Amino acid sequence: MANILAADDSASMRQMVAFALGNAGHTVVSATDGAEAFERAKEQKFDLVLTDVNMPLMDGITLTRELRTLPAYRFVPILILTTEAGPERKQEGKAAGATGWIVKPFNPDQLIAVVKKVLG
Amino acid sequence: MQDTASNNRRRLTYAGEPRVLPGYEHVKRYWDPTRNQYAAKILPGEYYVTVENEAITTVLGSCISACVRDPVFGVGGMNHFMLPQSGGRATDSWNDSLVSASARYGNVAMEHLITDIQKFGGVRENLEVKITGGGKVLAIMSDVGRRNIQFVREYIRTEGLRLLAEDVGDVYPRKVLYDPRTGRVQVKKLRTLHNDTIYRREEQYMERLVRPPQRAAQEVFGGDIELF
Repeated sequence: MANILAADDSASMRQMVAFALGNAGHTVVSATDGAEAFERAKEQKFDLVLTDVNMPLMDGITLTRELRTLPAYRFVPILILTTEAGPERKQEGKAAGATGWIVKPFNPDQLIAVVKKVLG
Repeated sequence: MQDTASNNRRRLTYAGEPRVLPGYEHVKRYWDPTRNQYAAKILPGEYYVTVENEAITTVLGSCISACVRDPVFGVGGMNHFMLPQSGGRATDSWNDSLVSASARYGNVAMEHLITDIQKFGGVRENLEVKITGGGKVLAIMSDVGRRNIQFVREYIRTEGLRLLAEDVGDVYPRKVLYDPRTGRVQVKKLRTLHNDTIYRREEQYMERLVRPPQRAAQEVFGGDIELF
């Protein structure tokens, strides 16, 4: 099972993500914004990063771009989990190097399936 | 003379029309002469955010409205939602858990509002919240209002948001008017109704949540997934 880093500024969303992925046997480390997630990612190598977009200090798109500059995270799957559904934002996420885009609310079964799929 | 006066009146009305933020063009707004202010009227399932001098209004039965603002940066908004009842597409194997369909839906109803307030300049730490609604307005909706109240209180607690005031429960529908500039929420309990429009709207909304069309169901209980 995988070590997953999940960044979201909403405490209830952090709980929900950790609950759903924890149920599938994954270990989830939460961060409250992009900057904290970036620090955690440098301390420990995660198998997958799941991030919200709109967060204080560093948003999820910037986090994705920053992570891709680290050799350890060049090929690690990064999934964006957000309420944003607009094609422009999606394009930004793709350009920043994200692996996929999930629009909230997330369906726990689908989230678990997508995580499994991108982990390969 | 009369022409000039009516022209002036028109100018007074329209020249001051507040700028609508992107994404809210569909919300109906009207001039309220008694308050000398524009008001945006939201329906069940909708939300509205503004940085301008305008009020937000709605009528609530068992639904809940959260009125949220950042008084420092001058941005605020209001939503109008209820939790889906179990049944139909609102039920899955995660029922009664932290990630039940109704918790997921309620969570996102709050997050849409808060995210947009942040997007238009608000800061989470500054946010002030007031809640209203959740009336026991119809016998069949007996515990619907109560579940909505419990959910929103729990959400606010988990998120560490500041709840300044609440006017919830009771048996009457409410007409709500929120002014994000001042933070004032005016609630008028409707002891007599001229028609059943608000009940019909809420029942239709409730029905839509339990049995949404295939496409909408995905948006309600699990959003689009795209792998690049």
